Amino acid sequence: MTFRTRLLLIFTMAVAAAVGVVELVVSSRARQAFEDMEAKRAEALVTQFNREFARRGMEVMRTVESIAASAAARDIAISPDASSYVDQAAALAATHGLDLLELVAGDGAIVSSAEWPARFGYKEDWLATEPDWQARGAFLKREELPDGVALALVAVGTASAGDRKLYVAGGRLLDREFLSTLVMPAGMRVLLYRNLAPEFSPSELIGAPGPAPGAARLKSLIEQVARERRDVTATVGRGAEAETFHALPLTGYESGLLGVLLIGSSRRDLVELEASMLRTAITVAAAGILMGIALSWWATARITRPVRRLAESAGRVAAGDWGATVEVASADEIGQLAGAFNRMTHELVEQRDRLVQAERVAAWRELARRLAHELKNPLFPLQITVENMQRARESYPEQFDEVFREGAATLLAELSNLKQIVARFSDFAKMPAPEMEPVNLNRVAAETMKLFEGQLAKARVRASTELDAALRPVQADREQMTRVLRNLILNAIDAMPEGGTLTVRTVAPETGARLEVSDTGQGLTPEECERLFTPYYTTKTHGTGLGLAIVQSVVSDHKGRIAVESEKGKGTTFRIDLG
Amino acid sequence: MAGAATRPHYGGTLRVEMREAFESPEAMAPPAGFVLASWEAGRRALYTADESAAGGRPYLDSIEIQMGRPLRDQSTDLELGKADVVELGPNELRRQIAGRKVWSSSPVRLMALVFGPRVEDERVREALALAVDRGAIHSVLLQRQGEISGALLPQWLSGDAFLFAPAFDGARARSLATALAAPARTISLAVSDASLRPIADRIALNARDAGLVVPVSAQSVNADVRLVEVRMASSDPARALAETAADLGLAEPSRSDTPEALYNAERALLDGFRVIPLFHLPRVFGAGPRVKGGPGITRLGEWHFENLWVEDRP
Repeated sequence: MTFRTRLLLIFTMAVAAAVGVVELVVSSRARQAFEDMEAKRAEALVTQFNREFARRGMEVMRTVESIAASAAARDIAISPDASSYVDQAAALAATHGLDLLELVAGDGAIVSSAEWPARFGYKEDWLATEPDWQARGAFLKREELPDGVALALVAVGTASAGDRKLYVAGGRLLDREFLSTLVMPAGMRVLLYRNLAPEFSPSELIGAPGPAPGAARLKSLIEQVARERRDVTATVGRGAEAETFHALPLTGYESGLLGVLLIGSSRRDLVELEASMLRTAITVAAAGILMGIALSWWATARITRPVRRLAESAGRVAAGDWGATVEVASADEIGQLAGAFNRMTHELVEQRDRLVQAERVAAWRELARRLAHELKNPLFPLQITVENMQRARESYPEQFDEVFREGAATLLAELSNLKQIVARFSDFAKMPAPEMEPVNLNRVAAETMKLFEGQLAKARVRASTELDAALRPVQADREQMTRVLRNLILNAIDAMPEGGTLTVRTVAPETGARLEVSDTGQGLTPEECERLFTPYYTTKTHGTGLGLAIVQSVVSDHKGRIAVESEKGKGTTFRIDLG
Repeated sequence: MAGAATRPHYGGTLRVEMREAFESPEAMAPPAGFVLASWEAGRRALYTADESAAGGRPYLDSIEIQMGRPLRDQSTDLELGKADVVELGPNELRRQIAGRKVWSSSPVRLMALVFGPRVEDERVREALALAVDRGAIHSVLLQRQGEISGALLPQWLSGDAFLFAPAFDGARARSLATALAAPARTISLAVSDASLRPIADRIALNARDAGLVVPVSAQSVNADVRLVEVRMASSDPARALAETAADLGLAEPSRSDTPEALYNAERALLDGFRVIPLFHLPRVFGAGPRVKGGPGITRLGEWHFENLWVEDRP
């Protein structure tokens, strides 16, 4: 991954993260605001319900009291036979707008019942348990009706005539009609669960429009309220269908839990708001990311262009172009880096020039030393021979001819030696340009090894040839490559004075060819390896030190590479890779 | 002047209202001394005075009968002067209407629960028979009209109705109902006459206390038990028993020439609780202030309008 791509990713992620954080914060704040608003609305509705409940209670109480205070109630109370009043409650309930009304004699027997006319004569003993019904006010009560059980807001009044008493128990059903009187804000609804059965019954959950659908999902909430007898708030459902319910226990006569009021607030608005915010955030994020990409593209281009130029220049330096420079376009860190790079390459060039100069001087010195050394060896016998010949001419004239013959032979031999030395130096100086042709290195290796069979045997070196049949011909100068291989083999033989194994190996890589020459000699130190290809450098006591220099020169002329691996005491391997 | 106003005289039309709605004139007993002049099935009948009646021409020129009129409406019509003679139920009797005369027959109407063939388990029938609190119904809903009875024939007719004394035993009824399978504890009660609905509701409430579920409806088709009224049209006990058994869908009673035989025949009809007699009720009519003479009904509750006349002047 390029530096520019990394920068681009970092910018893009930064923009996306920033948008995400903003969205989270805004969403969280909006949710909190919604929750607060919902809580306030629920609180207002609870207050409204309590107020309406109290108002209805007062209304029922007043109505019941008025009935109890009426002449009709008094007539019933004083009547010795109340049987003729069996229909009275229904008429009074209709007149006074009550859903329920029972006229009960002092002994607890129902005289007349509006909600269940057939119950005349049945006992309502609970009426005698409360000493002051007026102080008790209205209360919730479970009422049995012909078609089931209902929940009602009930009040009790008493009509007295002498020692006779008539209870007037009347009320209003807590039903859909009651719920419909509660003004609900949009998105909210009120449900009433009538806790009239021992087990949870979905049909007892009603709303203003009728039975509440999906009552089963409120079961656990209702049961919790019934169990704990306290207000409970819970969210039911998921997604846009979710509702937050504030549930209140409704206790009734004798403190029993007769109902649960549930004020539901739809979370659809919140979900839609969140969805809208999410859509906006995604849009903004997408736009931000696109803008971020564009900006980061531009910014990274500005940042990475000089870096890229620096990298290119560094590459050129690595490739050998030490004169490569970078344009300094700014005074920032990148500009300073470019300036430092330019100074570095300038220093490198100067140092290279100085090094070349120094090496050239060193080479000349080395050459002079070598030449002096090489020439001094044959010159000394020449001097001795000439001196012998002079001494014989003066002191032993009779032996001069014989001395002369021997001296002449020695002189000729040493002169030949001098000539050979000069020729070797001349050869190194006159290294010709390679004449490229397809060359089968396997064949070159095999033929060369054959030439050295005798010499290898004499040196007690075992020859091993490992030639890769898959090796394809490479473009090379056959003669020069033969010379390279010869030099390496000679070098290997010299490295194994006690004998050993010489291995010539060819390898067919994906492209080009590889030639390896390994010996099992004493090996080289890392320092020796570094200087191995320096002209006139040798670790041997004989030789000119030009063999490996010639090898490297040939390989270099073939655009190839030569490397050496060596481990002290184990041997050395020269590896040549061609095109 | 007042004495002159109440003197019998010829002329006028007597407006009569009744609950029943007959489809043919043969189904309705015509008022003696009058002949049918026009007939609208189920709605209206007009009878005119028979000039050649055996006992002499009635005072009234005609009798206009409106059929299918609810008891409450009849009472209202009587109060408003739209009707001269109406039937009165217990509720209507409680209303005090100025100038109204009340004619009551002997208890000639049998109110009873009649089980259909589907209710095969005698325990169900007995449980319902024991659950009904006749006393409360009689004192409140019937305003103590008639008699509580466990017999098919009224006491005045058979003389042995007291031997069929009804029993109210809620505990025994509950015991019988508890032993029943749940589906058998539900029996539908039909009451086609709306005026009997309060009684049916009370019976259902009594049955509920005993552990029976008794939904009440006006539909008699497929009902398990019906609340019915049967009217005695004969003062001959054996004949009345036979007619009553026929009306209730019971088997024809055995020949009963003696009181013992009559008792045994009646006992046989009641065994198995296929019929649960509840009350024997009189026929009660109210007559408006226009109507003079009377009483306008016989002991059996039949119309007896020959000696009535109407006074149109205030």
